[in-house]
Amino acid sequence: MTPAGRRPVSVLSGFLGSGKTTLLRRYLAESAQSEAGIAVIINEYGAVGVDHHLVRMVKEQLILLQAGCVCCNRREDLANTLRALLDQEQSGEIAPIRQVVIETSGLADPLPILFTISSDPVLRHHFAASSVVVMLSAADATAQIDRQPEVSQQIIAADRVVVTKPDLATREQIARCRMKVRQLNPTAGIVVSSFGEAFDVLAPGNAPQGARSLDKPLRVGVALGHPDVQSAALTFSAPLDWPAFGVWLGMLLQARGPNVLRIKGLLNIGDAGPVVMNAAQHVVHPPEHLQAWPATERRPYLVFITRATDPDRIAASLQTFQNAGSRTDLRVTRCV
Amino acid sequence: MCVLCGQMFSEIHWSEQQLDPEQVSQGAGETLRRQSRHARTRLIGKVLAHYGLEVSDDWSATNYVVGNRKGDRQVVASLAELWPAATRMAGRLLDPLDDALLQHLRDGAAEGAE
Repeated sequence: MTPAGRRPVSVLSGFLGSGKTTLLRRYLAESAQSEAGIAVIINEYGAVGVDHHLVRMVKEQLILLQAGCVCCNRREDLANTLRALLDQEQSGEIAPIRQVVIETSGLADPLPILFTISSDPVLRHHFAASSVVVMLSAADATAQIDRQPEVSQQIIAADRVVVTKPDLATREQIARCRMKVRQLNPTAGIVVSSFGEAFDVLAPGNAPQGARSLDKPLRVGVALGHPDVQSAALTFSAPLDWPAFGVWLGMLLQARGPNVLRIKGLLNIGDAGPVVMNAAQHVVHPPEHLQAWPATERRPYLVFITRATDPDRIAASLQTFQNAGSRTDLRVTRCV
Repeated sequence: MCVLCGQMFSEIHWSEQQLDPEQVSQGAGETLRRQSRHARTRLIGKVLAHYGLEVSDDWSATNYVVGNRKGDRQVVASLAELWPAATRMAGRLLDPLDDALLQHLRDGAAEGAE
């Protein structure tokens, strides 16, 4: 359970043949010893041998919301399945759920899943998105990223990227794969894994929201091969005016949500600890207010991954809004 | 729900998440909530003025009231509802990257500093 008493939901995504099932099977086998209470939701084409766990099959069913953008579509199948799990747990039919793992089909976009959990009037009080884990086969990754827009979308939404099957790839292919991922999503943690050995990336405590962005968030550049997609890390000369930040980001996402692919960062708002920000298009995770700064990271930053939007304009806009609020002297600069 | 004013706090916008809904509804934390709220409303007012719109808090400072110069008014519950409502009322996209809006805000900040 998260501090707010909500059950963490890990989303496991990745293209066909990227090793999702291997990782999930290994994770479930390792967790079986600790009476894990893990509910697994897999798409109807998935096939996982998971004797000790509760498995629900769903037919991925996207509900197109009127005037909604792609990220704000609702996964009705998931909403129904999660509600049914809650009912069964509360009636004592099944053991208490400690975690939900959703394995998506290879082509699924993780964002509607996050949107569904955070917007459903019932589910949002009982479940919280914990992390998005995306699998990539090292040998195929470069071609898939270049040719399959679904793969790029999954990487941009990822908190963790697991590069799999390194034994079937050359060192150059693995290095190129890491570089491609880094260019698309500088905030995602990357781990190389054989035979599902990195299974613990699915453990909710292991990937707290936003915290892996501390890895090396500031190495950011223009995404080669995706001329439209750019990323930039911003930092600030003073603590942010939090109300003004909320006004600005709300307005930015309303106007430009589909083109603001990802926002992650640690913000200093003048409290003892920072605020962890994590948003994917229109879906803003509830900001997490930490009690103290992590030992490894004292510098506030905010990473933007955008499409067809110049990060310098975003920086200028944020600074102007802060100056119009209570931080008249605050400067927003790009990290180098 | 607040026992004093009967206002429902069914949903707290992400920008107000650091508030503890229980503390706010019981009165403690209400001053802090109102201070942030008024700061937010002041800034939104500066932004909307550029589009010929205005905003105010309702008496309980839980809802925003967006209006235009023709006297149209709409009550919205949160920032999530405010921007779509203001966009409809203005009849155009409210874009924080709009250079003219940013210049308007800078001019206002410069006037305030004088």
